[in-house]
Amino acid sequence: MDIEIILSQIEEEAKNIKSLEGIEQFRLKYLGRKGIVAQLTSTIPSLSCQERASFGQKVNSLKNKLAVLIEDKQKGIAGNKEDAQVSYCDIGMPGIAQEIGHLHPITQITEEVCSIFSRIGFSIVEGPEIESEYNNFTGLNIPLEHPSREAFDTFYLKDYPKMLLRSHTSPVQVRAMKAHKPPLAIIVPGKVYRPDAVDASHSFMFHQVEGFIVDKGIKFSDLKGVLELFAKTVFGDGIKMRFRPHFFPFTEPSAEVDISCIICKGKGCSVCGQKGWLEILGAGMIHPNVFKHVGIDSKRYTGFAFGMGIERIAMLKYGINDIRLFFENDVRFLKQF
Amino acid sequence: MKFTYNWIKDYVDIRLPPEKLAEKLTMAGLEVISLESKEGDCIFEVEITSNRPDWLNILGIAREIAAITGAKLKIKDERPGMQSKSTQALKTEVEDKKDCPLYTARIIRDIKVGLSPDWLRKRLESIGCRSVNNVVDITNYFLFETGEPLHAFDWDKISPDKIIVRRGKAGEKLTTIDGALRSIDCNTLVIADSLKPLALAGIMGGKESEVTYNTKNILLEAAVFNPILIRRTRQAHSIQSESSYRFERGVDLEAVKMASQKAGMLITELCKGRQHCFKSVGLKKAQKRDVILNTLNVEKVLGISIKGSETKEILSGLGFKLKIGKRGLLKVGIPSFRQDVCLEEDLIEEVARIFGYEHIPVSLPKILPPITIRDNRSLVSNIKNILVGLGLNEAITYSLDGSKTLQDFNPGIVAIELLNPLSREQEALRTTLIPGLTHAVANNLNQKQDCIALFEISHVFLKKDSSPYEELKLGIALTGAKRMFFNNAAIKDELGLLNLKGIAEEIFKRLKVQGYEFINQGQGGRAGIYINKEKTGYMEMLGQELLDKFGIKNKNVFMLEISLDKLISYARTEKKYVSLPKYPVITRDISFILQEKNSVKEVIVALKEKGWPLLRSIKVVDYYKGKQIPEGCRGLTIECNYGSNERTLTEEEVYSVHSRICLELKEKFDAVMR
Repeated sequence: MDIEIILSQIEEEAKNIKSLEGIEQFRLKYLGRKGIVAQLTSTIPSLSCQERASFGQKVNSLKNKLAVLIEDKQKGIAGNKEDAQVSYCDIGMPGIAQEIGHLHPITQITEEVCSIFSRIGFSIVEGPEIESEYNNFTGLNIPLEHPSREAFDTFYLKDYPKMLLRSHTSPVQVRAMKAHKPPLAIIVPGKVYRPDAVDASHSFMFHQVEGFIVDKGIKFSDLKGVLELFAKTVFGDGIKMRFRPHFFPFTEPSAEVDISCIICKGKGCSVCGQKGWLEILGAGMIHPNVFKHVGIDSKRYTGFAFGMGIERIAMLKYGINDIRLFFENDVRFLKQF
Repeated sequence: MKFTYNWIKDYVDIRLPPEKLAEKLTMAGLEVISLESKEGDCIFEVEITSNRPDWLNILGIAREIAAITGAKLKIKDERPGMQSKSTQALKTEVEDKKDCPLYTARIIRDIKVGLSPDWLRKRLESIGCRSVNNVVDITNYFLFETGEPLHAFDWDKISPDKIIVRRGKAGEKLTTIDGALRSIDCNTLVIADSLKPLALAGIMGGKESEVTYNTKNILLEAAVFNPILIRRTRQAHSIQSESSYRFERGVDLEAVKMASQKAGMLITELCKGRQHCFKSVGLKKAQKRDVILNTLNVEKVLGISIKGSETKEILSGLGFKLKIGKRGLLKVGIPSFRQDVCLEEDLIEEVARIFGYEHIPVSLPKILPPITIRDNRSLVSNIKNILVGLGLNEAITYSLDGSKTLQDFNPGIVAIELLNPLSREQEALRTTLIPGLTHAVANNLNQKQDCIALFEISHVFLKKDSSPYEELKLGIALTGAKRMFFNNAAIKDELGLLNLKGIAEEIFKRLKVQGYEFINQGQGGRAGIYINKEKTGYMEMLGQELLDKFGIKNKNVFMLEISLDKLISYARTEKKYVSLPKYPVITRDISFILQEKNSVKEVIVALKEKGWPLLRSIKVVDYYKGKQIPEGCRGLTIECNYGSNERTLTEEEVYSVHSRICLELKEKFDAVMR
């Protein structure tokens, strides 16, 4: 076979190819396993040495030319095809994907709060919802018959004397301080219960996160620093914070912590009751009597503790105005978070 | 508690406008919750914490304002001598000094009871106290001004031989000023004459001895009662008064005589009476107490250095008496009105409060490596994320429910009940998550939501011998879910339970739980979930009877509940790589008709055994019932995957094992090939 003739033929042949199938046939005819190029190559051993070199070169250039032709043709036909039969997608149609669910907003806020404190080095610990009167009150320096109990009305259990549904997450302080030696840095999320009739801002069941540190040299200024870091992470760098003296039986000194109103930025609005501030936390230095109950030497160790209501944080952060929404579990509500 | 700007100004030189003063008070721990201008005065409402009964009066607040602002206090230290002589004419008797450490009585004669003058009426009304008559108004006025509750009895309605402070006796009854007839027992402290109880001590007077326009002579009582006793009586009778509120928190023993004196003087002035006699029984002075303060500890606790001189200035401004003790320690004398101050830390708080929390700097503690506590939190969080990924929404429902409702869902399990429930609907601790989820499903159906897929992870509470027991459970509710989840549209009629099964399996697989089984129970609307033969949960279609109770109509509701405590104990967190297949997998489908008496699981187990080791897996790819399928049967298409770890299988090898599989189907299960 004369390579020159083949070379002159192939261009003509390629021009007439109109489809991808045609290209494939063309490719098989020349470059296939039993194609013309293979046949030509197979004759090489029978040639004399002088002929081999020039013949081999010619076969190679034929091969290269074929490759270029096929590639060009493929590009050409593929391009044409796109132009000719593009299927129109109306991108205004709804997208298609498997719908995924949503974590409850309370879970989301709890996780956010816990992860902020975890990053600083707090460990997450949980405790039971059924507690002893001792852990819930006495161990926390709340005398049984004292007006300070007023803020902690509590559900008691029938059949189990001195057992109750914890009214705050603070009993875990008592548990953890008894179980572990300082230094301690612990964060406690969980459900708590108080016999409040349900309305837009009260619920007999709600969620708290409690945190505390016990070590040598822990100071009130550390409490301020940690809580400022927390509040700015949750509510943004722009917020202001203030610590007001307050009273809790289990801390001394005690403070209530406000942030500048996130709605009106402190100017005064209906959300903050024209005050410009929103209360978000209670905190203070752990009371020496609490240390005494758990056997920690308050001369050597100091500590701070704080607690917050998760519903409160979620309501402020998301602009929710009725606490009952959290427990009605309306799917339209849940899907917003 | 409310007070007015002008009233306070009687006792302290305030230079600040009301708004500024309110801010200062709030930042000192006396939170001003509202501020209202009215007729040239300004009314403050403050929230007073239970440790500060000394703030429940005008003088106490004036004292605080003087300390905060440095303004001059205009309270004369008036402990004047008796203007009326103590006579034997009046006998007072206190049964138990613990119940009543101090009792004073003052007789004022020949008074004229009438309307109060305008200034008095207005002041009381501005702080929300109704004007009654001049005598009662005066007792109230000094209650608010001094914090010492006073009570006036009509002396002529009392048997005059003696006044007794004693416990009540069984069977005694008293009609109080509010008109209620109250039964008295030995836990109640009463004021009585020799014949009958006259008043619930420290809480409310009796109707019979009430001061009226006809009253001529009065007995004015000022006393200190045991706070716990007042609290118990107040709770037992569910009444609260301004008086009980203060006694319960503790009144200043050293202010009692001053209050009685001041009120007595104003009564003689406004009601034209004359002081007849005064009698006092009990402690004259509160016990002296000192608390030692090491000024160096102020910095240790607060994180800021406050000069010793400033610390002393703050404390003496608040009424503490300072003496220098050994080694530079401060010996701080606690005034009788500060019973809340017992420890050095209490004094440090006083210093911090007046110094200003806002002036304490911000620092970060050095947190040492955290204690390692093993718990299930991260696994629970994993499970929640798997469920959310499967399209379920997380619900949080109430832990309390009605005992009856819990019984309906969990027959035979007795729930722990509350001693003091808010209502029957919330009287017991739940033993199962299903009723709560059913509530949530019903709520959503009422809102016309037709695709509901919810889960909850919470504790249930069970009775276990001597102590209650909490168990973490996962509950899932599905209803109307036909167009969500698995895109296998062919699976139609057994949708609910198989969806639940699929969800459970996904969790098992992700948590590497081995040896789980689902076993039909009863009519097939219910299945048990077992791990290693241990029952860990169940799933079911809720019966119509239960649905009716929640008003759910024409809907099938599917529920799953599983113990997460148990499930997690079988979870494996470590992961190990298994090498990917090196040789291609060859797939052959079989379509056949299977009788319903043969379970698909049973068939697959048998085929896998038969095809071992080349048959790697079997997948059900189609499942249907319908016209073409005989009654009592269903059509199935399974996909058999063949492969080897050593080589590519030849056509002949696959053919040989696949034929064995088909033969097994025909011979063992009477399956008809299609």
